Amino acid sequence: MSKFNLLMKQLYTSKIKSKSFVVMTVIYILGMSVAVFWSDIKELFTGDDQAQQIAIVNETTADLSGLFVSNSDMEFIQNKSNISELEKKVKDEKLDAIVKITDQNGQLHAEIATFTPLKLNDQGAINSILQLAGQNYAVQQLSLTPDQAALIMDAKTIITDKNLNTESAGGKSEEEKQSGQFVSYAVGILIYFFISTFLSMITTEIATEKGSRAMEMLLVSVKPATHFKAKIAGVLLLALTQMGIIIVVFLIYAKFAKNGVIWDMAASIVSELSIGYVIYAVLFLLLTIILYLIVGALFGSLVSKVEEAGQVLMPAMMITLIGFYVMLSGMGNPDTLIIKVFSYIPFTSGMIMPMRIGATDIGVTVPLLSLGILIATIIVAYLFSISFYKRSVLTYSTGGVIQKIKTVLKVTT
Amino acid sequence: MTLQLERVTKKYKDFTAVDNLNFKIEKGEIFGLIGQNGAGKTTTFRMILDLQETTAGTITWDGKPVNAINRDVLGYLPEERGIFPTMKVEDQLYFFGELRGMKKSELKKEIDYWISRFELEDRRKDKAETLSKGNQQKVQLIASFIHKPQFLILDEPFSGLDPVNKDLLKDAILHLKEQGTTILFSSHQMDNVEELCDHLCLLKRGVSLFSGSLLDLKKQYGKTRLAVRTEWSTTQLLALEGVKDVRVEKEQTVLTLEDESYAQSIFEKLSNGKYIEKFSLDYLSLDEIFKDKVGGNVVEV
Repeated sequence: MSKFNLLMKQLYTSKIKSKSFVVMTVIYILGMSVAVFWSDIKELFTGDDQAQQIAIVNETTADLSGLFVSNSDMEFIQNKSNISELEKKVKDEKLDAIVKITDQNGQLHAEIATFTPLKLNDQGAINSILQLAGQNYAVQQLSLTPDQAALIMDAKTIITDKNLNTESAGGKSEEEKQSGQFVSYAVGILIYFFISTFLSMITTEIATEKGSRAMEMLLVSVKPATHFKAKIAGVLLLALTQMGIIIVVFLIYAKFAKNGVIWDMAASIVSELSIGYVIYAVLFLLLTIILYLIVGALFGSLVSKVEEAGQVLMPAMMITLIGFYVMLSGMGNPDTLIIKVFSYIPFTSGMIMPMRIGATDIGVTVPLLSLGILIATIIVAYLFSISFYKRSVLTYSTGGVIQKIKTVLKVTT
Repeated sequence: MTLQLERVTKKYKDFTAVDNLNFKIEKGEIFGLIGQNGAGKTTTFRMILDLQETTAGTITWDGKPVNAINRDVLGYLPEERGIFPTMKVEDQLYFFGELRGMKKSELKKEIDYWISRFELEDRRKDKAETLSKGNQQKVQLIASFIHKPQFLILDEPFSGLDPVNKDLLKDAILHLKEQGTTILFSSHQMDNVEELCDHLCLLKRGVSLFSGSLLDLKKQYGKTRLAVRTEWSTTQLLALEGVKDVRVEKEQTVLTLEDESYAQSIFEKLSNGKYIEKFSLDYLSLDEIFKDKVGGNVVEV
């Protein structure tokens, strides 16, 4: 086995059994399980809640009973009239609310009487039913034919997009954009978590070897460049392993849990996306992780002992955090200037560019340019790191990152 | 197969760590590199191991520049103790052995031999970090030569070892020498150097003060160490011709002479033709030579 393979294997086999890796993987799977089985879990916590008993007192002539449909959260008791008896029931907590509907100058007026305020979402649900009832009532007052009434009630504006910019290919439908945004969000979060995990893993790994002075023993037999490459390859392999586990678990859930509902949902999202998008997303994901691993390895080589690893990681962590928040800001509106700017910065483009590709209408050149910048940065960072690593990895110094870099330059030139 | 350093220099921006260093180590020889902390020993080792570049000069092994040789012929025990803290002792040795190009089957015999020789039998499945400092050092030492290197560098191998383990290590070094391994080691414990080395190099702030055989170094000073047991006071002794320094020890007084030729006249004066309990003329110990050479009384440890 070559020295590169030996080092990589040693890193891989020791880390894959490490607590941090196992715990992170379990957390991802748990998170996914919660998402998949959310409705069941919610049921578990709220299942024994009684449906809210709500009495409807309709003092108008219109028939609104068709609108108040009982469900698992609320049970409507229609056609009551004895208010004082009902109010007593509410005070005794045998009834949760009374909705009294009256006519005031041709408009509906509803009064919701409670002893304990209703839950926020129940209140919201009743409000929207009442809004609808108000419109219904108004229409009924106009004495229209049922067809006319239906026309008014069902009126909707049909919206279509037409893109006059021929460069931005085709233009995307609203559904495509939504799917794109949804998937991009997932990609962004995935990148963020993966970077946080594996950036600190590679930095700590190298810092541990340097701090425990095993490094000198290693570098006598292995060239620093080989060591550097083996560390990056090993951690990347771990990241891919974790990704693989997550994907496999997801596929199992999708196929077998809940009669394949998730599978159909995922399939419909994927079918909305172009193959180009998927390729871009995967490329951005992998390349961003590689870039951060290079930076992480370089930072790891700067510290003197493992306790300092957190300190040098701070700047890189800050950048990922900024990227993450810029991405979050794009959930509402992915077309802002700040998103455009950050989608070109190599350290954040991986989180942000997929969203622009998926959720906005941009031409072919924009993502290509961003990807090009990312690749160029990786090449430059790699070449720089490999020459700097040889000098920094055996230099022990104190102080902050800048101070350490200065010391390395001073004692090795 | 010799290691040769010619005019080797390492300069940093504001100081020179190693200045114009020359020495040669023959196959199967034990060579000592001696100097205080900061004398440039570790820098020299790192240059030999190609962990640092030389500013000037050449280092060759078997006629080839060291950065062009197969690195598996080298073995190195760094001064700072370090092994993988969470790896088991045995795994550690296999890992380093395989890294140096050995096969698992070949390694097994070697590992079993050295583990039992260094009395680590009951710790072989333990994680390195749970071992005592001395035991960790033994593991690291085995790791440095488990692949049977032709050339082994030991940076301060004795520091931190108790007398029993020191003897174990000394025996191991001599065992490796018998097998033909060339060994370069540094130490500031002169008794070890004196016992093991055939040749040595004295370094002071990067400059070589002496390089050659131990006997030559001693001869350079001559037999100027005179131990006596006498009634004479230090002032009286100092007043004698040829006496450079007087030092009172527990059971004896040690005079340092300017030259061994003064010994006879001193003997005559001290004994005055009568019986004298102790009068012993010898070479200086390496310790004394070292102190004289580097010009300090304290050897930094």
